[in-house]
Amino acid sequence: MSDSRAGLAPEPSQGGPSTAAVQVRGLTKVYDDGLIPALNGVDLDIPPGEMVSITGPSGCGKSTLLHLLAALDVPTSGSIGVEGYDVVRLDHPNRYRREVVGLVFQLHNLLPRLSLLGNVEIAMMGSHRPRRERARHALELLVDVGLGSLADRHPTQLSGGERQRVAIARAMANDPSVLLADEPTGSLDTASVRSVLALFEKLRAERATTIVLVTHDPSVAEVADRRVEMLDGGVVSDSLFPAHSGSLPS
Amino acid sequence: MSMFSLVLQNLWAKKGRSIGIAAAIGVAVMTVVALMVVSSSLEASAAQILTIGRADFSVAQKGVAEVLSSNLTNRDLDNVRSTPGVASAIGVYVATENLNTDNPVFIEIGIDPSDLQAFGVRVLSGRPYGPTSPHEVMLGWRAAQNFGLHVGDQFKALGTSNTVVGIFTTGNSFGDSGAMFPLPVIQGYNRVPGQLTLFFVKVEPGQPVVKVQNAIDQTYPGMTTIRTAEQFGRADTNLVFLRAAVTSSTVLAIIIGAVIIGNTMLLSLFERTREFGLLRAIGWARTRVVGLVVGEGIILALIGSCLGLALAVVAVALLKYVPALRGILHPTFDQSAFARGLATGLGMAVIGALYPALRASSLKPLEALSRE
Repeated sequence: MSDSRAGLAPEPSQGGPSTAAVQVRGLTKVYDDGLIPALNGVDLDIPPGEMVSITGPSGCGKSTLLHLLAALDVPTSGSIGVEGYDVVRLDHPNRYRREVVGLVFQLHNLLPRLSLLGNVEIAMMGSHRPRRERARHALELLVDVGLGSLADRHPTQLSGGERQRVAIARAMANDPSVLLADEPTGSLDTASVRSVLALFEKLRAERATTIVLVTHDPSVAEVADRRVEMLDGGVVSDSLFPAHSGSLPS
Repeated sequence: MSMFSLVLQNLWAKKGRSIGIAAAIGVAVMTVVALMVVSSSLEASAAQILTIGRADFSVAQKGVAEVLSSNLTNRDLDNVRSTPGVASAIGVYVATENLNTDNPVFIEIGIDPSDLQAFGVRVLSGRPYGPTSPHEVMLGWRAAQNFGLHVGDQFKALGTSNTVVGIFTTGNSFGDSGAMFPLPVIQGYNRVPGQLTLFFVKVEPGQPVVKVQNAIDQTYPGMTTIRTAEQFGRADTNLVFLRAAVTSSTVLAIIIGAVIIGNTMLLSLFERTREFGLLRAIGWARTRVVGLVVGEGIILALIGSCLGLALAVVAVALLKYVPALRGILHPTFDQSAFARGLATGLGMAVIGALYPALRASSLKPLEALSRE
């Protein structure tokens, strides 16, 4: 972990030293003063470099779990450890979102007035990279996602799949250890889905990025090493895909 | 990409709105700067009268609406002359006359010819008028030049035709643009026999001027001493009101401008809710979001202020052609006018942008991203 992350005030996750990139214990989330339970005591461990798909029907709590992992929301109870940070008690959640995790949304959320390069660079503003280095790194990322030649174009000139690839490049801008993707293929056609999933596989293979992929599409879930299935706010199954050789945490 | 270029891109993306806000700031800045320049010009013109006589300070009636309404008597003059530390005091009567559309406020000074030298008047050609000679006048060299008159020519003023007996200089452009008459003649024409407007006082060598001023101010409550343009308000309450009006206008311009900017930027905030939500979600700190929004306001303020300053120069230049202001308005754009204009623009922008900026920075990323 770099020195620049020291200000996040990391605290060891509960349960002693862990090698997991993500460690969730007894996580609950209740909305509207207890009327709507979204998560009900979720436990989850994700080893570094693993790609995990979280599946389940709408309203099962999978997006809520992802938002809590991203420190976009706070849990009602339980603990979340990501790369050694106590996500529930972060002093600077914005720095955590910038430096530790990368976020990909169902909608690409690119800024239409900025070029693709600008859309990637914007995620690095506030980081310690000098301006030229930010531009160089942004271009590098666009090349990685296969859009280097379109760096000066604007999002409106791209297809849905290309936009989502730019969004992934933006999410990787600060070299996060963990990539959190919420239905990243939800609004894409089949060809675009394939290109985006190939990109996730590439990131995992080349950068050893831990990827948490929320999806309701079983075919998308299959690209992961492991599938966690949720229902009514709880994990109902947690299994390795036969094609992958990863191992489940104990 | 720097923060600055991001701010510019954001403003460029909404050109129409940016131009609208900059124009609103420009109009407000123009109003404030033009008012300020006109006010200071009028103040300077009015205060110039004090600098005609080469005196240490002037004395006028206290608390009159305008200094030319000052009503002093020969007895007052004797009192001032007898004040310890006063070397000499000259009493003059000052009036203005509307000669024609080009000279709506022509300055006429009534002074005894024996006081001319002490008053700092040097006769360039001809001679001084007689102490009580009717129909005799001396013209300042600027006035003579403007009217194309020479010694021996006729000059129509005080309701009659007067012979120009001399051309003088006071070394002061205000005085050199007027005329001088025998004191009883101008008092008689204005039906104020024995009335004086101002005393020009010189103190004895080695005497502290302020001490002599204080002595007169304390001994004679009906009179006030004036040494600087700032003290002019003591004898010209109109000037005090004018200064207050300019200050009020500045404050009002800032408030109205801030409301317009704030309102427009709030509208922009609602349109850009998802954008701010995204920036927060990808790790932007609140202070950075505030900086972005306030930065946009500041850039607009700078553009608007430059526009406003340019408009103010044009507006004031046009005001000089208004007949009622001809000859009175000698505007000068000094640093303080530009600084005040800039401060007005920036004040409006910062105050106006602050609330939308704080709102933008406090948006919850998830809620903001879910907005349509």
